[in-house]
Amino acid sequence: MRNFATEFGLPARLTTLLLAIAALLLIAPAQGCGDGSGDGSGWNDAASGFRGVALEPGPRPDFTLTDTGGRPFDFRRETDGKVALLFFGYTHCPDVCPVQIAGIAAVLRDLPWEIRDRIQVVFVTTDPARDTPDRLRDWLSEFDPAFVGLRGGIEEINRIQAGLDLPPSVRLDAPPVEGDSYEVGHAAQVLAFAPDGRMRLAYPFGTRQADWKHDLPRLAAAKTRPGS
Amino acid sequence: MQWWCAARGTAWTWSWQAYPGVWLLVFALGAAYWRAARGWGPAGGSRGRPGWFVAGLIGLWIALDWPIGALGAGYLASVHMLQFVLIGLVVPPLLLLGIPPGEPELRHRAPRRLARIATQPLVALILFNVVIVITHLPSVVDTLMASQLGSFAVDMAWLAAGIAFWWPVVLDRPERPGFGHPLKVGYLILATIVNTGTFLYLTFSELPVYATFELAPPVYGISARDDQRVAGLLMKVGTAVVLWTAISILFYLWYRSEEDRDSTGAAG
Repeated sequence: MRNFATEFGLPARLTTLLLAIAALLLIAPAQGCGDGSGDGSGWNDAASGFRGVALEPGPRPDFTLTDTGGRPFDFRRETDGKVALLFFGYTHCPDVCPVQIAGIAAVLRDLPWEIRDRIQVVFVTTDPARDTPDRLRDWLSEFDPAFVGLRGGIEEINRIQAGLDLPPSVRLDAPPVEGDSYEVGHAAQVLAFAPDGRMRLAYPFGTRQADWKHDLPRLAAAKTRPGS
Repeated sequence: MQWWCAARGTAWTWSWQAYPGVWLLVFALGAAYWRAARGWGPAGGSRGRPGWFVAGLIGLWIALDWPIGALGAGYLASVHMLQFVLIGLVVPPLLLLGIPPGEPELRHRAPRRLARIATQPLVALILFNVVIVITHLPSVVDTLMASQLGSFAVDMAWLAAGIAFWWPVVLDRPERPGFGHPLKVGYLILATIVNTGTFLYLTFSELPVYATFELAPPVYGISARDDQRVAGLLMKVGTAVVLWTAISILFYLWYRSEEDRDSTGAAG
């Protein structure tokens, strides 16, 4: 019988040790890495138990814009009693907007229907000139057909953002661009309103799907009214 | 100036990007080979040996330079895995095949000792797989891919580990008369198994594990989860294709050597 260790030119004890290390390698990736989020987002609010950034509680904003079907959408009334995730962005956004929206959509797809039904995602375009109703509808439908897209005048949208302590959206024409290939500077966080309408969290860009998966069911389970 | 591909967080564009660090590396390897080849014996550099090395250099350049290098460094986990398969599994045996039999002689004590230790089959196998595991840990990927130096370190770790892994299979220096074709086949078969943990982790994780690729500007709307699953499958399938090709070649060489021995014995 061949001496396995001899063929590899190593002492038997060292060979045994090396084989043990090799066996550990088979299970090391599955054990060391958790769900991929850890606390790496840096936004953990230990007091609330949520991974989003806790904000000073405030009322749900009162505004009405037009949805992609041309109908008025009263944000406060239409999202009453639900978790509302409000995001200001635009469909030509190369990075922040598709990543934020895609992350939420991916997590929602895996949640039970009864939780998903209590969450409303509302996307307000900061680029109404290019985001026509059809374009906005098509873009959102790539992520989730249930996401609501809203349009309005840019002054109205900036007024709404100001009321939420968000910076106004700014068209960026530098470097010089041709035609409609400009970018729009805008707030990158998603604002979350709990079912009771008062609690508010912010999810900045960099929020992982693991964070959404952690927080959304908890938000959806929150009481709709104090004492209920 | 961007010397090496790293995650930049900017939207992907098909506009060509220059990465001179890649060109310098490929040139330096080529220059080192040319200089070494001048010192080899009459058989050195003959019978297509430089062709193998050049093929390895071309593969390395393709894996590291734009667009594969850029996509793999900061946009798609699947392309990152393609880079690993190329740099760690395809390129090293090609580079080593460019070295003629009996070389390198490793005249100096330190490199000879290092080669003897690092290319011990069991050491090389474990080293290769330790590098695979470590360089695919989310914390390592997310930390290193964000900088040019970190990305360079990952690429060089793959190349060095791949060279150590393939060395006992391709080269006969230092000599290991007992490590013949049957054991080489067993060595490669074992290698097809030991990256299973990483493959399973990537393919069957519910959520994206790498922030680098999850939060990267999207490329053609490919979802982070689908991209990760493709990465896991590519690791498994790509590794299997390369290793089983090598195993098939070794089986053939083994069969030929047995036939030659039988013929010689019959004639004697």
